[in-house]
Amino acid sequence: MPDDKTFSGRRDFLRKTLAVIPAITVAGYGVATTAASQAAPTLQSPYRPRFFTSAEWAFVNAAVARLIPSDANGPGAVEAGVPEFIDRQLETAYGHGNLWYMQAPFAADAAPEFGHQLKLVPRDIYRIGIAALERWCQSQHGKVFAELEPAGQDDLLRQLEGGHLDLQDLPSALLFGQLWQNTREGFFADPIHGGNRGLVGWKLVGFPGARADFMDWVDRGEKYPFPPVSISGERG
Amino acid sequence: MATTLKPVNAVVVGFGWAGSILAKELTEAGLQVVALERGPHQDTYPDGAYPNTLDELTYNSRGKLFQDLSKSTVSIRHGIDGTALPYRQLSAFLPGNGVGGAGLHWSGVHFRIMPEELRLRSHYEERYGKGFIPEGMTIQDYGVSYEELEPHFDFAEKVFGTSGTAYKVKGQVVGDGNPFAPDRSDNFPLPALKDVYSAQLFRKAAEEVGMRPYAMPAANASGPWTNPYGVQMGPCNFCGFCSGYACYMYSKASPNLNILPALKQSELFELRVNSNVLRVNLDSDGKRATGVTYVDAQGREIVQPADLVIVSAFQFHNVHLMLLSGIGTPYDPRTGEGVVGKNFAYQNMATIKAFFDRDVHTNPFIGTGGGGVAVDDFNADNFDHGPLGFVGGSPFWVNQAGSKPIRGLTLPPGSPSWGSGWKQAAKDAYTHTLSMDAHGSNMSYRDNYLDLDPTYKDAYGQPLLRMTFDWKENEYKMTRYVTEQMRKIAEAMNPKAIAVHVKNFGEHFNTRAYQTTHLLGGAIMGSDPKTSAVNRYLQSWDVHNVFVIGASAFPQGTGYNPTGLVAALAYWSAKAIREQYLKNPGPLVQA
Amino acid sequence: MKLIPYLFGLSALLALGASAAETADPELLKKGEYLARAGDCVACHTAKGGQPFAGGLPMETPIGTLFSTNITPDRETGIGAYSFEDFDLAVRHGIAKQGYTLYPAMPYPSYARVTEPDMRALYAYFMQGVAPVKQANKDSAIPWPLSMRLPLTFWRWAFAPAVEDFALAGGQDPLLERGAYLVDGLGHCGACHTPRGIGMQEKALSAGDGPDFLAGSAPLEGWIAKSLRGDHRTGISNWSEAELVQFLRTGRTDRTAVFGGMSEVVVHSMQYMTDADLTAIARYLKSLPASNPGAPAYAYDDQVSKALYHGDDSKTGAALYVDNCAACHRTDGQGYARVFPALAGNPVVSGDDATSLIHIVLKGDTLPATHQAPSTFTMPPFSWRLNDQQVADVVNFIRSSWGNQASPVNAEQVKHLRAELDVPALGQIPDPHALAPQH
Repeated sequence: MPDDKTFSGRRDFLRKTLAVIPAITVAGYGVATTAASQAAPTLQSPYRPRFFTSAEWAFVNAAVARLIPSDANGPGAVEAGVPEFIDRQLETAYGHGNLWYMQAPFAADAAPEFGHQLKLVPRDIYRIGIAALERWCQSQHGKVFAELEPAGQDDLLRQLEGGHLDLQDLPSALLFGQLWQNTREGFFADPIHGGNRGLVGWKLVGFPGARADFMDWVDRGEKYPFPPVSISGERG
Repeated sequence: MATTLKPVNAVVVGFGWAGSILAKELTEAGLQVVALERGPHQDTYPDGAYPNTLDELTYNSRGKLFQDLSKSTVSIRHGIDGTALPYRQLSAFLPGNGVGGAGLHWSGVHFRIMPEELRLRSHYEERYGKGFIPEGMTIQDYGVSYEELEPHFDFAEKVFGTSGTAYKVKGQVVGDGNPFAPDRSDNFPLPALKDVYSAQLFRKAAEEVGMRPYAMPAANASGPWTNPYGVQMGPCNFCGFCSGYACYMYSKASPNLNILPALKQSELFELRVNSNVLRVNLDSDGKRATGVTYVDAQGREIVQPADLVIVSAFQFHNVHLMLLSGIGTPYDPRTGEGVVGKNFAYQNMATIKAFFDRDVHTNPFIGTGGGGVAVDDFNADNFDHGPLGFVGGSPFWVNQAGSKPIRGLTLPPGSPSWGSGWKQAAKDAYTHTLSMDAHGSNMSYRDNYLDLDPTYKDAYGQPLLRMTFDWKENEYKMTRYVTEQMRKIAEAMNPKAIAVHVKNFGEHFNTRAYQTTHLLGGAIMGSDPKTSAVNRYLQSWDVHNVFVIGASAFPQGTGYNPTGLVAALAYWSAKAIREQYLKNPGPLVQA
Repeated sequence: MKLIPYLFGLSALLALGASAAETADPELLKKGEYLARAGDCVACHTAKGGQPFAGGLPMETPIGTLFSTNITPDRETGIGAYSFEDFDLAVRHGIAKQGYTLYPAMPYPSYARVTEPDMRALYAYFMQGVAPVKQANKDSAIPWPLSMRLPLTFWRWAFAPAVEDFALAGGQDPLLERGAYLVDGLGHCGACHTPRGIGMQEKALSAGDGPDFLAGSAPLEGWIAKSLRGDHRTGISNWSEAELVQFLRTGRTDRTAVFGGMSEVVVHSMQYMTDADLTAIARYLKSLPASNPGAPAYAYDDQVSKALYHGDDSKTGAALYVDNCAACHRTDGQGYARVFPALAGNPVVSGDDATSLIHIVLKGDTLPATHQAPSTFTMPPFSWRLNDQQVADVVNFIRSSWGNQASPVNAEQVKHLRAELDVPALGQIPDPHALAPQH
């Protein structure tokens, strides 16, 4: 599997940086007694994926950047922290498929109305799916997905979405569906889950988040004036 | 080796609406009651704590309050010759788990029922002739009348703190409520909730096309309320976190909020959580229940002897438990004989989304689970079915319950499915979209039924319940007709675009898309032990000290949401137990 | 689910067996039980999770930790060997059977007013209506020389009133006098609600002692016991007698909810009082004139609610209020009747000392269930969501909006209280399940 050199270099840097973060965090809480030191940390600590390998991480970053790009309408999925969101989700019961009924026998040929009937849980779908897609990319283009031009990436994602790629190990639409669902989740979920940084997803569409009180606005048919707020109390 | 505990007067299996109502009624009657709930303890706080609960991903997407499918689910197939596959991921329906059951995370729509729907077969035969009901449609009468249930509808509304506008009270027109609604003995406890802007648009458009809009009855309190048990509710502030969530405003009725605090004051009541009932135990001749066997939180098998067993779990768990316990004869679709599992029915939904320009602020995040504006012109038998050739109908409504962007964002037809184009469309659509539903009835059929799955097992090694279900000709006709009527309202609003989501002829039941959690039947009530599992008091025909309470008793679907009828039937059954059964234990209706 | 575990009705009585049955006059025991509730003896004489009346509850005082004593009729470790005279000496005179003076954590200066017939009922109840528990008393953790009992004797001589049976003055309103008897005596309301002097003595023990009586305390365990006098903004001038009765009976009225230390008083004591006695208490409290009669009356001001209604949250603290508080307490500060307390015109909010308000913002609280109002309502903690300056800002917003006119607080005050309280750390979103009361 090809290793993205720029990424591995960056990851080495991250690893070194991360080594000192616990100390900073502890110190931060230790002195959190004045208003000034209690201000929300503005420095975003770089995220080191726990589930994804560096190659997978490169794919996820590149793919979600196309699914929700940064453009004139504001930040996209990468800026919103969607890759971190997905990585963290894959470490939860959800990622392990523990929220699902996973007793055999499975039915690979089930009609779509019966929903997911494969043995694959979200972690499998990413691990197997990305590997298969990158194999396909290599064989067709001699490059990994992240190295393709944006137009080429979009084309590939469309084929994936339509189920037109023969990835051998899993239906291509399954990988796309999983990725697109998790991308939207990461863009619109509360930032406690790692995505929607700066509440950018909510600001894009006008969702006020964890605001939870519209008594003054119920029947007015006006634009709601207050910005979104997150569970932690961050205002967008 | 199972541990056998000291006997109690009554054991209640499942602590949702039905179980909490029965527990309250029976402790009031002086019985010592143990309620067994398979899930964990849950309450408004901490399970609905502000602001932690305002988390769409955790609650709605990952289903924190929903049934844990990894332990137990159902299998589904479309016909009696198919192989059923497990319902592996929560999607089409979302049963609850834990104290309060689905009553903790429901929306709050709190209807009664149209009187003729309680005697559906008789009514259609009388009005349209015996040949009108198609072959294979096995609809039946409930065996209980609206007049008999009315006091219980009324009391349940007072317990739930229901908001609404009445039309007729004691024969007098008192307000601009639903003109099709049957007579009431009293007004709603609380006035109707305010109309959100989307509901105002719907109300105006419905009037323009000649329909008669009314405020939906909602168990989301429009003001402070103290119910007959002395427990209090706060007013709904339209935060929009109802369905899938516990209400931190204490304003959406739930067993946890409206009944449990009063039960906790009784020394006769005990609630055991994480207690999964495996079966109802019967004596040697199978005519009397001796109690139940359950698995506790530590995995131990416990026998709880009881004089009276109330089966009040979710609809399909009731049926599952009866089949596992050997109460009543399992239904056989080939012969039409047997009763347990018979007449499984659902809800037949259609939706229209209307998309407006940026100057129309529908603000879909502002909402309340049970509130909205509806019309009943095409519900039940409020219109002439003769020339239409189908049975059933549907209310239509704007029931803006708070849509959030992960699951509630819909884009106009033709929008890009991702990329910058999607982003633009999402930005343009979200706060300018309105959604309306046709909440159609679903009839029961000879081959839509429930039995035990031959292959798949639950975490306790017991066979899963198997659903055999699909849509029928009547259902396509009905939903397509009523959706065309609803489209008139949508078009009268002059939106920029509309998207109609309605079933095509021949389309199979799709387990992937959320419909509703209104699963019905399987342990149906009726007047004849050959065609019903429980009598008109919801007492098992076969085992007289077992009462099976819930939507499992509905012989077929209705246009309305089921909770109001579930609660009324629970009080109706409790009254029969208190006033008749306890004095003279035995069958309340002679077979 | 069992009832509150302090039910010592007839069933407990029967369980005591033959010796009790020989002497018990059920009416006398019932009266004693009722009076014990009026005195809320159980509150201090029961440890958390311990046997009722077996003592052992730690009480933090400025000089060290005291532990309440076992007052069950166990002969060895409790008061089983007490004669009536011993019992009376302890309760009304503050002198233990062994002869030393009790710490005035025992409110004997208030109990001094209890009548002898009531004392006999209480004695009968504690001897025969309470189950004996063998549980040795814990020594106090007060260092020498403060642990010397002799100064306590001087304290008693200086501050405790002469023991004297309360006698009706024969006035116009017997209820008012009954109220005085309960409030000044067994109810020992002044123990928390009356300011203390240099010797830690209550500055007044009865209405006749002047405007300090029940005029509100300094912070006690992080709470202010508010003024119960007729002051406009800080007292109970805008509470009716009926509201006071409802509050004491159920812990709630349309506009307010019990919190802090008073919750236990309602749950363990007040909810058991008869309507007549609660009315008597309310009437007596309502008879106390304002300490500061010149202060202006409260009047609602809609400037802030209008601004918020129009989306203007520019006032300092307003945005924080909208983001954290308004869902329940409303942009108009009126709360929701019977469920979420009003902040507008609420004397707890407008008191000179904002300790209670800061405390509840940081830690939240749960309105307890009572027999007649079984619903519990929980305000969550905000210590993890708001830093000290933000707490100060939102508290000041509340104290200066909707007609409230109280002095500002600063972040330092918040910082000090935060350090005292066991609250979720800033920036760490807590799991509410870990904070919730156990089921």
